[in-house]
Amino acid sequence: MVEIKIALVGQPNVGKSHLINSISGATLHVGNFSGVTVEKKEVEFERNGYKLKLIDLPGTYSLHPYTPEEKVTKEFLINEEYDLILNVVDSNQLEKNLIFSWQVADLNKPMVIAFNMYDEYSRAGGEIDTDKFFKLTNIMAQNVSAKENFGLEELFEKVIKTYQQKNTPRIYYSEIIEEEIENIKEKIKNCKFDKRFISIRLLEDDEDIYKIVHEKPWFVELLPALNESKKVIKNEYDNDDLKEIFFEERLALAKGIVSQIAKKAQKEKISEKIDKILIHPILGLPIFLLVMWIVFQLTFSVGALPAYYIGEGFSAFGNWIGNLMPNGLFKDAIVNGIIPAVGTVVMFLPNILILFLGINLMEQTGYMARAAYVMDGVLKRFGLQGRAFIPLISGFGCSVPAYMAARTLKNPKDRLITMLVIGFMSCGARLPIYVLLVSAFFAPSIQGDVMFAIYIGGALTGLVVAKILRSVLFKGEPEPFVMELPKYRFPKIKSLLFDLWIKTKMYLKKAGTFIALASLTVWFLSSFPRADIIKEYSYKIKHAQGIEKIELKKEMNQKILENSYLAKIGKIIAPITKPLDLGWREDVALLAGLAAKETVVSTMAVLYNGGSSSNKTLIEKIRNAMPFTAAVAMIIIVMFYSPCVAAMSTFYAEVPELAWRIFYTIYPNVFAYFAALIAVSLIKIFS
Amino acid sequence: MRLNELNMGESGIIKKIHAKEPLKSKLLSMGFARGERVKVLKHTLAKNTFDVDVNGINIALREEEAREIEVEKDN
Repeated sequence: MVEIKIALVGQPNVGKSHLINSISGATLHVGNFSGVTVEKKEVEFERNGYKLKLIDLPGTYSLHPYTPEEKVTKEFLINEEYDLILNVVDSNQLEKNLIFSWQVADLNKPMVIAFNMYDEYSRAGGEIDTDKFFKLTNIMAQNVSAKENFGLEELFEKVIKTYQQKNTPRIYYSEIIEEEIENIKEKIKNCKFDKRFISIRLLEDDEDIYKIVHEKPWFVELLPALNESKKVIKNEYDNDDLKEIFFEERLALAKGIVSQIAKKAQKEKISEKIDKILIHPILGLPIFLLVMWIVFQLTFSVGALPAYYIGEGFSAFGNWIGNLMPNGLFKDAIVNGIIPAVGTVVMFLPNILILFLGINLMEQTGYMARAAYVMDGVLKRFGLQGRAFIPLISGFGCSVPAYMAARTLKNPKDRLITMLVIGFMSCGARLPIYVLLVSAFFAPSIQGDVMFAIYIGGALTGLVVAKILRSVLFKGEPEPFVMELPKYRFPKIKSLLFDLWIKTKMYLKKAGTFIALASLTVWFLSSFPRADIIKEYSYKIKHAQGIEKIELKKEMNQKILENSYLAKIGKIIAPITKPLDLGWREDVALLAGLAAKETVVSTMAVLYNGGSSSNKTLIEKIRNAMPFTAAVAMIIIVMFYSPCVAAMSTFYAEVPELAWRIFYTIYPNVFAYFAALIAVSLIKIFS
Repeated sequence: MRLNELNMGESGIIKKIHAKEPLKSKLLSMGFARGERVKVLKHTLAKNTFDVDVNGINIALREEEAREIEVEKDN
């Protein structure tokens, strides 16, 4: 069967993904564009004896790219092999969208346009004459509504027809420019790209194209002609900016064609009315905070319930399997190593799903852009962007979904800075550690204040660090903030569910494997070497009675932990943490905290208490064993040092650059160490 | 006069985009072209961020970016 490979392009918010989800009988493949964390969706389906393969390119405003996603689109359109371009256009914004269409048409590839959201447009009285559009541009077009599922089949018929006829667009600019395009075209000799396209891009100062052709042998001859042509155009238009000249040229063309093919729709007023309330100068902020509060309540309170049952389910499953298997290393590795490791991965799923349902709803309805608008003024002061608020706040619940939520930030610098400080927002799993230490070392009357100070202090430090990172590591111009506020729209359930499914798959595949491996490693480090200890105890346990048996088992586990590789590492680093007054037990607990913050308290319990879970005795024991300064140091370290392996794995999965991964792995720990050191020194000076 | 000097509800015609590349191309592609009418729908309390309408499209931008757009205020 003949395959037609189709590049799917369009500006952001034109409903490209809706369109993909609405194709019946299609199979979808999701991956990444090589080297970047930009999602790549491919859809395959059959129509009229052809296999159609759509490659969804990131939403792009212009072929003068601004974001990394736009660069991906441009690079694909220029360098990859494909048969046809399918350009999705929002019928409600014809002029703005067509400016991009003309740029794509310059590529001189077979091209089809879908006027999407035609349902909305026609309801408001609009009409588009696609036959006339074809006569004017030689581009076959179809009015469609991906949402209401009409026009799609006709669209694919036109795609196949365009492919069969090798029908390419005929878009012409004004005479002056066309003349110069011809002049340049003559000078271009052998070149795999379309000559007209290269000429146009060179004339409008496209640096990427310049880089491609400037090493060709014929470029020497072309350059003087190019400079001459540019001069002619600049003079004629009385403007020094060629990009602007071409932009205005395309806008004029779009306006001219729209006036001939389209009957204007009435302006939609609903969005403006909703905005009067939702982004009201005074009410906007409290409304946004309320929305966020609801999302986080759902994510972390409601999400905790299934997470709890998943955890219980996995441990029950572990016990069940354990009873079926003979004792030994293999059983131990499965029951205590692999099953809990996989359980940890799955346990995060409810949180991730609910948070992303909330985020997707906000994105699809159009509220997310408004939230960024509302929050931008505050976060700007810290070198962050309005949208950063959501990942940052999610960090208070759990860093894993927070890192994933940072995907809503399109600019890579904004995204990286945000991700680097998410760890400073104390996640839910750190609460028990704070509770233990605060109740052991602070008077009951100020315990609440101390807890509050820990959370606020962590968040503020994070924001200040963001500011420092921005001004030290990401020097230069601050990132501009120009963002479309799309119309409010009802979300489409199918798209919502679909996106959740993709997120789940991605999380399980990428972060999941990391998390499981890392948990296994920590289990191994904390349970080996142990052959001698087991030998010693198994004899005793065999001959012990009732309660004594359990006590002996506890003792054995404590011995194993005390002699494990983890404890050895703890003892090695003990001299380093000595200035902080921390002992090797605290070191081991903090190291175990890298596996999961929940294990800090349980490790302390094992090391101080022989595994007794009674909090009261543990509090008393650490109060007697640890100096006050050590408690403060430990609190500060927990506030700032590396989050758990699950979170770190998610970070690694989201950030491909090795240098940033290394930086991320080291700097929080250095920061935590010195912050603790300063605090301890201050206490010693003043007391 | 610059776009950031307009008050809520006021509008004007775009005269010139002063921004440098690549911001200029970005602003152009969002529809901030010479001769277009731009209206300030809203701004935040401290006038940090603006919500404007160009050619029927709602766009949010910061004061710094709005300052790069020269307008002639409508009467």
